[in-house]
Amino acid sequence: MRYLFSIFFSFITLLSVAQNGKIRGTIVDDKTGETLVGVAVLVKGTTTGTASDLDGQFTLDVAEGSYDLQISYISFQTLTVGDVQVKAGEITLLDNLRMKESTLELGEVVVSAEVIRTTEAALNTIKKQSASILDGISSEKIRLTGDNTAVEAARRVTGVSIEGGKYVYVRGLGDRYSKTTLNGMDIPGLDPDRNSLQMDIFPTNLMNNMMVSKNFTADMPADFTGGLMNVETKDFPEDKIVSVSLSTSFNPDMHLNSDFLTYTGSPTDFLGFDNGTRGLPSGADQRVIPTPISGHSQQEVVDFVRSFNPELAASRKTSLPNYSASFSLGNQISLNGDKKLGYIFSVSYKSEYTWYDNIVYGEYQRYIDPDLYEMRYATLQNGEMGEQNVLVGLLGGVAIKTTFSKLRLTAMRLQNGESRAGKFEIDNDGQAVGQSGYFATSDNLEYNQRSLSNVLLNGVHVFKNSGWEIDWRLSPTFSTSDDPDIRKTAFTHSSNGSSFNAGAGGNPTRIWRSLGELNAIAKLDVTKKYTLNDREAKLKFGVSHTYKYRDYEILLFDIQFFGGQSWPDPDPSTVLNPENIYPNRPNSIYYQSGNIYPNPNAYRSNVNNTGIYISNEFELFPKLKTIVGLRAENYVQKHTGRDQRYASGDTKNGQNLDNEKVLGSFDLFPSVNLVFSLTDDQNLRASYARTIARPSFKELSFAQIIDPVSNRIFNGSFFTYPGWDGNLTETRIDNFDVRWELFMKSGQILSMSAFYKKFDNPIELVRIPEQQTSTEYQPRNVGNGRLYGVELEFRKDLDFISPAWSHFNLNGNFTFVESLIDMTEIEFKSRKSYEKTGETIKDTRQMAGQAPYVINGGVSYNHYESGFDAGLFYNVKGPTLSIVGAGLFPDIFIKPFHSLNFSLNKKIGESKNTTIDFKVSNILNARTESYYQSYHAENKPYSQMSPGRKFSLGVSYRF
Amino acid sequence: MKKINLLFHLTLLLGLLFTACEEDDTQLIPDEDSEKITSNITENTTWTSGKVYVLGGRITVLDGVTLTIEPGTIIKGEAGTQANSTALLIARGGKLVAEGTAEKPIIFTSVADEIQPEDITAGNFESPNLDADINGLWGGVILLGKAPISASNESGDVSETQIEGIPTSDQNGLYGGNEAEDNSGILKYISIRHGGTNIGAGNEINGLTLGGVGSGTVIENIEIVANQDDGIEFFGGTVNVKNLVSWNVGDDGVDTDQSWGGTLTNFIVVTPAGHCFELDGPEGSMEAGHIIQNGTIIASEGTRISQDLINVDDNSIVGLKNLFFTGISEGQQINRVTAAGVTFEGIELDVTEEDLAGHVNGDVPTGVSAVSSPTVGADTSVFGWTWASKAGKF
Repeated sequence: MRYLFSIFFSFITLLSVAQNGKIRGTIVDDKTGETLVGVAVLVKGTTTGTASDLDGQFTLDVAEGSYDLQISYISFQTLTVGDVQVKAGEITLLDNLRMKESTLELGEVVVSAEVIRTTEAALNTIKKQSASILDGISSEKIRLTGDNTAVEAARRVTGVSIEGGKYVYVRGLGDRYSKTTLNGMDIPGLDPDRNSLQMDIFPTNLMNNMMVSKNFTADMPADFTGGLMNVETKDFPEDKIVSVSLSTSFNPDMHLNSDFLTYTGSPTDFLGFDNGTRGLPSGADQRVIPTPISGHSQQEVVDFVRSFNPELAASRKTSLPNYSASFSLGNQISLNGDKKLGYIFSVSYKSEYTWYDNIVYGEYQRYIDPDLYEMRYATLQNGEMGEQNVLVGLLGGVAIKTTFSKLRLTAMRLQNGESRAGKFEIDNDGQAVGQSGYFATSDNLEYNQRSLSNVLLNGVHVFKNSGWEIDWRLSPTFSTSDDPDIRKTAFTHSSNGSSFNAGAGGNPTRIWRSLGELNAIAKLDVTKKYTLNDREAKLKFGVSHTYKYRDYEILLFDIQFFGGQSWPDPDPSTVLNPENIYPNRPNSIYYQSGNIYPNPNAYRSNVNNTGIYISNEFELFPKLKTIVGLRAENYVQKHTGRDQRYASGDTKNGQNLDNEKVLGSFDLFPSVNLVFSLTDDQNLRASYARTIARPSFKELSFAQIIDPVSNRIFNGSFFTYPGWDGNLTETRIDNFDVRWELFMKSGQILSMSAFYKKFDNPIELVRIPEQQTSTEYQPRNVGNGRLYGVELEFRKDLDFISPAWSHFNLNGNFTFVESLIDMTEIEFKSRKSYEKTGETIKDTRQMAGQAPYVINGGVSYNHYESGFDAGLFYNVKGPTLSIVGAGLFPDIFIKPFHSLNFSLNKKIGESKNTTIDFKVSNILNARTESYYQSYHAENKPYSQMSPGRKFSLGVSYRF
Repeated sequence: MKKINLLFHLTLLLGLLFTACEEDDTQLIPDEDSEKITSNITENTTWTSGKVYVLGGRITVLDGVTLTIEPGTIIKGEAGTQANSTALLIARGGKLVAEGTAEKPIIFTSVADEIQPEDITAGNFESPNLDADINGLWGGVILLGKAPISASNESGDVSETQIEGIPTSDQNGLYGGNEAEDNSGILKYISIRHGGTNIGAGNEINGLTLGGVGSGTVIENIEIVANQDDGIEFFGGTVNVKNLVSWNVGDDGVDTDQSWGGTLTNFIVVTPAGHCFELDGPEGSMEAGHIIQNGTIIASEGTRISQDLINVDDNSIVGLKNLFFTGISEGQQINRVTAAGVTFEGIELDVTEEDLAGHVNGDVPTGVSAVSSPTVGADTSVFGWTWASKAGKF
């Protein structure tokens, strides 16, 4: 690491010896916002000149002084930029040079360098001209606001909701229908079961832009429906970046709290990974492990029991405030000829402490009596939990370009470790259906470590002025997510003492889970610009191939007692004391394996997805831009796994899949987008597209994954039940959008949209009704669905009130959606059988995962001249159905979380090199809650926790 | 570190590939007179006397199939927990005909038990090496039938549901129906020992689980020893059970749910760790009651102390007759005497008159009395063959 640093520092030193100054700029087409290649740039009155490269960028080396630049390009009016000040060793940035198409009266446009800086950003033009409904934030804007990470910047994009401080969603559609990509590549996030990438890991100073597309065009992957967010990293930073930032945050409810729960863990936990302390004891993965009845010697059994870490109790320790630090660096260097080298590097470290002192998990049931409206509990858990989260991020990239070619290599490594310790009281009511009734207290210890390593190799080639452009990308990603040694120790308490009771709180268990995933994408896009009826047109076509492979395994061990048990002082910290270990009576502890070989809780899956597309963008009539496209994807998912029956030796009736196809289809995804320019600043859009949502690896499996804290079990879809045949298929969605939009100066916008989406075979998480003792879910195709929505969006400066308000900006996005699922016969019947007096069960219901409304609003104050930016942002999602109940088990909804956050950035110092930021999150002190809902009954908790209010202070310094 | 991690996973992948092919059979196999059963029983089968059958997993006797077990046969379950637990499951429509005799009982136990057919021939029915409190070494015996149950699953008020102890992913775990006289076979002179391994919190295997078993089934002279969960548990059904011993179980001695509509006659419950009786009411709208009569209950002995003497819910429907409770410790109670459907007749507690109220949660009902010498209880003469009897427990 130190070696790397010294290399980069020597680069910087090399550069700073240069005595000339630099002028660096980006040239765009005023009409389309797109960059122009091969534009001649001349320093007036000299012979110094250059041409813009494929990114529309140019760099000129000149001595200190004041210059006029003359920028000329065929069929464009020549642009003269006057009074460009250049200082020795510094870079003068003109990143927004707009060229207008020449008209009959050829002329020259003259502007001053100062005007360039305040010209409307190219991004706004791109938005206006884009084929798809697009929004986003550019590096220029980020530079002005001073946001530190992508997630903070994303807040400024209208229509975007932030969840959990790291995930970004569009239009209230959940994770299943959203997608995030990095540099246009669909890479898995740290949580491989999510479609979304966490956004708090990208430093904004290395980010080129962040774009959100709300509808599909053929060049995008077909598996998104709500929104696609793409983060593009910088390849050639406009000027030298060397910056350091530090921040700390304090949550009065969570930090410096002496009740915080933790456990010893491993000495490398602070780096986000376990050094092996939590590893599987040797021999534990054998078919037969040493037990008193396995034929092993007594000593072997004792040694085996002792090879497990004896720590089972959560212990109290004072929690620290959160802190984070990051360092980033980037620059571009001119090499010989027209070659340029760009590089970026960043390292970040983040440590967070989360403490919940009153977590509630509830399992509730309905009475069959139609006059008993209230729900009764089966199990109610109350407890406390402490979490320590460490995230280390490394991001680096080098790029090289000539005028017409660019090659870049970026690499990213994320390492994340989360250690959790909790204490819970479990109250089970024996009167509830399927329950035996007990009271238990549990200690839970967990560790989740995840890593992601991604490499992107990207080449762009422009064929001079022929209009052809080729862009190819290769991107392998390797990710892991392991839960080594999850421990749960629950004493069951009764009138005559405490013990471990298999039929109540359960015996102590230890679980090891491991997941490895490889994701490799290759992609080629070809663009040809041409003219049709004298108007610009663009033909795009390409191919892509994605290969994914996942390997997953769960291993489980139970503590058993050879003989009786006696725990006069039930303390989990003493359970594995030597006197309790076999053969010492009365407790005589040994481990029993819960694993069958081959393991039914292990699978290997792979996906091959080949995509090919063509799209054409043209104006058949003036002012009517049409983009038609067709994408084809051939998707094959194969699975290796087996059910318990097969694994237990019943090869006749059991199911065994050996790299068998479990999902496969060839689909066509047509899309049509029409953009009609009502006036220069108003568009009317209409679009249709077909998209798809496919089940994940985990969903297409026999895996049964228990959450040891809540005791809830996820089941893969392959298990069959009455009314469920085990064949989970993909969801095909038809999307219709119409939108009117008005663009105003400096990025102000007003738009109204209406949309309709039709879902064929949507997938939802369904409570398995047959399982009454434990709480189990399974993803299933429910009936068909549809949704209707309207969306109002605006971003408006308040200067119309009075000039004093000109620095205030108001933005908002309101989405209202009516979603409907046609219930299957079995769902309707089961709801009907529990119909309460006065209730009318309809055969349709709300779609799971779709909020009925989403409100995003923000007011911000920006005074860029003084480097001051402050904003207050509010976000709420309406009650969202999360797990589909039926009959005995009520539906589970997510309660609206009223998220109100404040942020303030101030640049200080003469050259504004230092930024101070102050943030308050969750000002309203909202609770994260989901609940059971039943007709005329009081809502009952499914889960509840309080994230508390958090105050953050950060400083960053740019050298 | 990146490298290490990658390497680690590559080796893990390789490891997985190889372990899949590996066969590691160091598992204890008793002797050559044993047969390992690894797949479901799909055609009529007889397990013969003098042999040991090893259950290699959860073995199911399928619908329409009869498994006959001859007297003196030993069935041993392999070790395992959760998904890896072994059990003998008789699916709805399947039959178990296991007619042992007092001289040659049929024994279900763990592979760890060194008991051999010769021991049975010699009249030694107790385990030569395992103590009578060692539990959780394997699963248990699960008998399922088509008799009515009072369950309320998602279809509301009917039919069938999944038996506890069997993952819902296994359809053979469904039980219940409308054939009250359903016949799941004959179980006589059977001792089930050291089982009850758990498959997850609150989800465990009883010694003998009877789900929706109909009155056409014969169950008599059954002994459960050291099961980690309940000794015997009824889920609805109409079957009658006669001559039962439940000794040293880890949870309830006798457990009833979902409106079992049969009678339990002549039995002994010795020191369960849970309640002596856990008697629940209907879970659907079908309401049937059961009768529990002529029993002796030893509620504590030394450090083994049970919880409630009787635990009923508000909606339970049970006729309790002629039961003698002895070995009663402080705090042990008849829990809830207010349930309208629960009747007490000839319930005798081996306590003093003044202590009696302390052992009843609520007012002492008529039919519950303190005695110094019992006038009711089990006829122990029929239990001479049991391990509990040989161990001198009564």
